Formats: sequence, C-alpha cells, structure tokens
Amino acid sequence: MKTSLPWKLWARQVMAILRIELAKNFKRKRAIPVYVLAFLPFLLWQTHSLVHIRGWRTCSGSEDLMVYAGVFQVFVLRLAIFFSAVAIFMNLFRGKIVEKTLHYYFLAPVRREVLVVGKYLSGVAMMVIVFGAGTALSYLTAVNHLKLTASRAVVPAAMADLPVYVGVTALACLGYGAVFLVTGLLFRNPIVPAVAILSWESIIVFLPAVLKKFSVIFYLESLCPVKVPFHGPGLLFTITAEPTPAYLSVPGLILLTLALLALAALRIRKMEISYGTE
Amino acid sequence: MAVYKRGYEPYEGELTPEWSRFLVIARQAYRRVFESRLLVSYLVLCLICPVACALIIYLPHNEGALQMVSVGDLITIEPGFFLKYMHLQGWLGFILTAFIGPGLISADLANNALPLYFSRPFTRTEYVAGKMSVLAILLSFITWIPGLLLFAFQSYLAGPKWFWDNLHVAYALFVGFWVWIILLSLLALAMSAWVKWKLAAGILILAIFFVVAGIGSVLNEVLDTRMGSLINVVQVIDTIWSSMLGLASRSGISPANAWMSLAAACALCLHLLSRKVRAYEVERS
Repeated sequence: MKTSLPWKLWARQVMAILRIELAKNFKRKRAIPVYVLAFLPFLLWQTHSLVHIRGWRTCSGSEDLMVYAGVFQVFVLRLAIFFSAVAIFMNLFRGKIVEKTLHYYFLAPVRREVLVVGKYLSGVAMMVIVFGAGTALSYLTAVNHLKLTASRAVVPAAMADLPVYVGVTALACLGYGAVFLVTGLLFRNPIVPAVAILSWESIIVFLPAVLKKFSVIFYLESLCPVKVPFHGPGLLFTITAEPTPAYLSVPGLILLTLALLALAALRIRKMEISYGTE
Repeated sequence: MAVYKRGYEPYEGELTPEWSRFLVIARQAYRRVFESRLLVSYLVLCLICPVACALIIYLPHNEGALQMVSVGDLITIEPGFFLKYMHLQGWLGFILTAFIGPGLISADLANNALPLYFSRPFTRTEYVAGKMSVLAILLSFITWIPGLLLFAFQSYLAGPKWFWDNLHVAYALFVGFWVWIILLSLLALAMSAWVKWKLAAGILILAIFFVVAGIGSVLNEVLDTRMGSLINVVQVIDTIWSSMLGLASRSGISPANAWMSLAAACALCLHLLSRKVRAYEVERS
C-alpha cells in the first residue's frame, strides 16, 4: 500500500516552530545590534536630507543615487546583512547548544529536517522584515529629498528601483542565512568560517570570472540597479566579469540556498548533543 | 580525624612576588592556548612575513642577487616599507586576538570564578593586567619584536648612518605596535567580559572592526564629512603609525584627532571592564 508523505503535518509543525522562534528572535536583547545596523542608513539619510533642507549643503541627484548604491552594496550587503546573518543563523543551533536547550526540540515528535526548515524560515523572516524595512525607508528618504533639488526629474525613474533594492536585500538574507546555518552546524567555532567567507566575499573583485560565481555577493551585485565602480589601492588588479542576468542570478541563489538547506538537514540527522564539550 | 576539628592554618609556602603575580594568569592561560594546534600553526604563519622582509632587506646587500636583478627592481628599505610591515603584522595580530581574546574573561564570568581570584591577594588591576599580558606577550612576538630585529638587521647591513637617520622607525615600531596591542587587548577583554558566550564575543570583535569601519565610511559618504574616519580603528591607527614614521596618511584625519579617538576607545573599554570585573554581581530581576 502506498502511503503519501504527511506534508500537512510538516507544514503545521514548521509554522509552530516559526511562531516560537520568530517571537524569540524579535524580542531578544541580542537583536538590538541587528536593528541598529538595519536602520542606521535610514537615520543617516534622514540627517543628509535635513542638512539639505536647512541649506547647509546642496545635493546632486545622480551623485546621491551613486552614494546610495555604494552604501547599499558595501555596507548593507557586505557588512550589515553579513554580520547579522552570522549572529542570527549561527545562533539557531549553536546558541541553543550553548544554552543547553536544544534537546527540548530533539525530544519533541518533530522530524529534524522540519526543525531545520522552521528555524531557517524564522531567521529569514526576521531578517527580511528588518532589513527590507530598513532598505525601503532609507531608499525612500534618499530619493524623496531629491524632489527639493534641481535633480527632481530623476525621482520617478529612481523610484522604480525600490523593489529591486528590497528584492536584493531579501535574496541576501536568504543566501547568507543558508550559508551561516550550515556553518553553524558544521563548525564549533564560527570565527574561522566567518573570517574565511568574509575574506572570500571581499577578494572576489580580484578573482577570475569563473571563481566569482562561487560567491553570494557576485549574484547580488549583478542584480543591483546601479553599478558601483571599485576604488582603492588594488584597482589595477581588479578583474571585471559580465554580470549574471536576473533570470540566472535569482534561481541560482535560490538553488544554492536549497542545496545548503539539504546539507544542513543531512548534518542534523546525525547530530548528537554533547553539552559538556561546548 | 573529622574535618571540622582542623584548626585554621595559614599558607606558609613561598609567596609569588607582588610585582609578578599577574603573570600567573598568563602562565595558566598559555597552557590552554598552546593545546590548540591551529593556533600554534597560525603563530608560525605569522612569522613568515618577517622572514620574507628579512630576505628583502638582505637582497640589496648580496652581490649574487644584485647580478641577477637590476637595482631598480629591488624594494627600497625606507619608512614606507616598515609601514607596510606594520599593517600586515597588525592584521595578523588582530586575527590572533579574535581567536584568543574572547575566552579570556567570559569563562570566569560564566562560571562565577571572579570571587575565587579576588579572595586571594590579587587586585582587579592585576587581574586585568594578567589577562592583557596573555595577548600582549603573544602579540609582541609577532609584531614589534621581529620588527625591531628587522630594523637592527637593516642597520647592520646599511651602516650607522642609516641607523641614525631612521631611528624614528624603531620608535614607531616599538610605540606604534604597543599602542595597537593595548587597543586590541582592551577591546578583546571588554567584549569577553560583556558577552559571556565566547564565540559571540569573537564575532563581535570582528564586527567592531569591520562594521564600525563601514559605519565610518557611510558617515563620510552620506554626510560629506571626514569625521566618520575617527570611528574607523584601521584609519585611526594608520594615521598614528604614519605620523610616527613621518609619512602622510590618506585617512584625512589629523594625528591629534586620531590620538584622541584612540584614547576615547581605550577609556570606553576600561569603563566596560571596570563595570564587569568585580568580585560580586548584582542580579536585578
């Protein structure tokens, strides 16, 4: 007799885990730095607008949009989302081991794969909500204050880029989330993989096109509406690669995420808790 | 004999001299540090750069090498060469700090071990000095000690005139690296004291360097200022090292401002440490 898989039960269990974890993720004190990182660009763009309204300095539309793109690609994607993902996703399992509470989940009648999916989705939901809001607010502020300048003509065209920025933010949360969920399960000390991944993501600008494809940031930058030229002492050594089109970048990142989740699911099936060694 | 019948007997053995008591902590900590093969390998890796620099210094003074390469291809040994050395070793020292620093105080706090330290003739200053010495001694072996050896090697090969002309380089190597060591140690100890989970403290140390530097750059770009560089530790230390070596820094901040920013960062770390390193802890519900 053929029995079908209990998808409905698994979905209900994922939702239950999601509800518990989401409440914990948002309320914990450790989330404060994540909020600061997400909304800092918004506060700075508010200050920038205020400075312009007060007449202390004038703005140029194209220059401001380029500055926004630079801040988004260098600060939001490479630093804020990266380190927030390290803090949130590595904490999903490793943090529970340190707190000696993971066995409560393991004792519950829930498949471990379901647990991985539930916890991952809770982290992604939190990051997408926080960073999505931060990105949208900062971009709206950066673009809207241009209405008061001579560059007001660029505003309608620039507003069309808002969904792209929010979408790239969501994909970044998805991609980095999966990367750090797996590293949190594979490594006891997250510093080594975090430094290695940060270094890899930072040096891809100097690497050949083939190697660039093995990084999350390359796909994210390909999707960004404004390209930011690289400046710095290593300018001579940079290698430019053709940006991957959106119809390849988006499914590519999603596939990478699914592959990493599958790896995490395989890893957690064999996981044994030994609180004493932590 | 029942235990309660034993009278109190004070310790009558030899006491460690007061001035060197803080080193007891370092001695115990090194036992754990050197158990890690990864760390020992990393320490060896940190010495590759000084060896390579010694070769670069030696090449212009070797006739055989001069016949193979033209003089123009050789790197000139000047303050700029030592600044590059300082940057590289400084980064390696930072990574070493991110490895070792987070576990220094967090374990004592997590296990309520501080009363055990402070019930002995051991002050809070000595405790912090002891924990700092764990990092300071290791960092010295990869920063200013090989740096001064390189300086001495170049002075030996180039002659006394080069030595007297570039004496400020030796000063920069010694003082500049000590400034870096003190900053790294205080930062690591403060993070270790405030974040009881040592892995989170390690990530926080990394984040403070990279993210705060990023925030500084964002401040500069969005608000069209250079003040953001004052919270960028890398630019602050580059300004200080460059001024010591008599070179111009690209950070756009003055050495005086850099020193003030550094002093503020150290004062903040000391304040954070003094709040946490106590023999007791008040729990507020």
